Amino acid sequence: MVRLRAVGEHGREDKNTSKTFCINDNIDVLIEILKRLDDKSIGVAACVCRLWCALTRNDALWEHLCFRQLSPPPEGVRTVVAALGGYRRLYTVCVKPVLTRLRKMKSGGEMWTRHEVELSLSLFCVDYYERLFLAGGGGGGGRIAGDAPPSSLMFLCKAVNV
Amino acid sequence: MKRDRDRGKPAAKPKMWVEPQPDAGLDDLFAVLGYKVKSSDMADVAEKLEQLDMAMGTTADDGASVFANDTVHYNPSDLSGWVQRMLTELSSPCAESSITKFINFSGDDDLSAIPGGAVFGSTGAEDSENGRKKMKAADGGSENPTLPRAVVVDSQDTGVRLVHSLMACAEAVQMENMKLADALVKHVGLLAVSQVGAMRKVATYFAEALARRIYKIYPNETLDSDILLMHFYETGPYLKFAHFTANQAILEAFAGANRVHVIDLSLREGMQWPALMQALAARPGGPPAFRLTGIGPPQPDNSDALLQVGWKLAQFAERIGVEFEFHGLVTNSLADLDAKIRGSDTETVAVNSVFELHQLLARPGAMEKVLDLIKAMRPKMVTVVEQEANHNGGAFLERFNESLHYYSSMFDSLESNGGGQDVKMTEVYLGRQICNVVACEGAERVERHETLAQWQARMDSAGFDPVHLGSNAFKQASLLLALFSSGEGYRVEERDGCLMLGWHTRPLITTSAWRIAPDCTH
Repeated sequence: MVRLRAVGEHGREDKNTSKTFCINDNIDVLIEILKRLDDKSIGVAACVCRLWCALTRNDALWEHLCFRQLSPPPEGVRTVVAALGGYRRLYTVCVKPVLTRLRKMKSGGEMWTRHEVELSLSLFCVDYYERLFLAGGGGGGGRIAGDAPPSSLMFLCKAVNV
Repeated sequence: MKRDRDRGKPAAKPKMWVEPQPDAGLDDLFAVLGYKVKSSDMADVAEKLEQLDMAMGTTADDGASVFANDTVHYNPSDLSGWVQRMLTELSSPCAESSITKFINFSGDDDLSAIPGGAVFGSTGAEDSENGRKKMKAADGGSENPTLPRAVVVDSQDTGVRLVHSLMACAEAVQMENMKLADALVKHVGLLAVSQVGAMRKVATYFAEALARRIYKIYPNETLDSDILLMHFYETGPYLKFAHFTANQAILEAFAGANRVHVIDLSLREGMQWPALMQALAARPGGPPAFRLTGIGPPQPDNSDALLQVGWKLAQFAERIGVEFEFHGLVTNSLADLDAKIRGSDTETVAVNSVFELHQLLARPGAMEKVLDLIKAMRPKMVTVVEQEANHNGGAFLERFNESLHYYSSMFDSLESNGGGQDVKMTEVYLGRQICNVVACEGAERVERHETLAQWQARMDSAGFDPVHLGSNAFKQASLLLALFSSGEGYRVEERDGCLMLGWHTRPLITTSAWRIAPDCTH
């Protein structure tokens, strides 16, 4: 049953004048906020609603996360990373494990210089290439167990006792 | 070598238990472990254990019997039964070991009176004509004739004995005294069982290699070496170190070039090149045109493995936007390559060799020929990665000792990578190398590793100048090693501009870079 309330019109007008701010209507602000989060928080944010989930999948966000501390940010890397799986994958597979390991090694100081970037990118390439091998089947004669995931970077996933 | 923890030994540290507990009756710390020991006996026990320790330390290298340290101790409270079982097991099959006395623990106290002056006492094993160690039947001891005595052997002690036995066996082989060598090899096998971890594996591989040399049974390879190499790539930082440092040198040599050509003397799976291509793609100004010539052996099933690898690399290159061209050269040995791989003059050429050049030393004249071939390619950069050890000495014993030390360090470093199939395969891979160094001769012995100093002399006389690997390579290498779990063990060292990956103080792999000397007229 629909009730037409004359008051409703007024109510809406009131709403217009009171300027409520809904973050979902201001996506650029939302993105700016998300850019400043760490990876866990981004993961949590992705669970909020579909819009937020879609936004967190945006690779630019992860690019920012990968190279946040690096200034100037490396050039020429974007096309390569995008081609090999995107910054989100780079972060999960390489950047995060490398950072975690190094954080345990060095107590303070600069942690994320271009050397770490280069190393992460090299490892990322190795990972992609190995998956290529698996995708192509055992025809290259490279592996015994064809279903095993590429383990070249598995050492990064193992627990470190420093 | 790490000192192995002695399992199965009742009292771990005698000094800890010196003070007897104030309450009489069973010692409750031991009781927790399952042993029934009277507290009042503790001081006595401790003293006797110290005497035991001393007595063991003074015994000479007489092939003492060995307690397998990974014995499963099912009933910890039945200590005497355990000792008895072990001693009967050991005394029957092997004639070489000299077993001495037995312990009989009477009463319900597990550690009643370990007789003093225990263990070996008067065991002097004599060598018979055959060189076999005789068993000295020790009847009773000085204090308690009816009480048998225990033989508890320190595994570090056995480790030393193991090494000595291995070297003695190698010496026997060198003197062609095969009977003695045969006896010693069996002895080594027995001692090896008492060890754990890296020492055990190394000893087993070396014993097997020695046995092959003695009996002249040469191995036939069942597993494809490329598969083993893939697993080696995934274990530890070794190959990654090699690839990343070589790539850094090549990258620096290619600075500013528009067309580049890399010649890989052993392409295998081509794991080195994706990272180089990415680095080239990321450089300011865009990537150069990249040409790769891969060299490899013919496949037993006649499949074109090189082409498949080239195809995968081409797919990768296409993904990252690098213009790519591939050529495969199939040959059994580099020295057979007569075709001059000449690039066009507009190309900058780099030659890369990872663990490949040393194999040429098996054929006289091959090394010089290949080095000339390389020079004919007019490369701007030649990167060489080799094992850092001298396994090519003239005398067998010298080679044996060198390789024993080298592979001990390698296996030790592998231990830090945990278990898993990759590590096991890597051990097989290294085991094959050990077998080749020890058991093979002549053209078959291809694992002719040499030290950096030797390579420097060779490259220098062939007309190459060293190129220093810069600080970038050093930094990358250090970072790479820091990522591995036991970052404390692996080290990067810089020597004469070359980078060495080492385990603690022992260098294992060296990357060096070379260019043609400017005054070389070849």
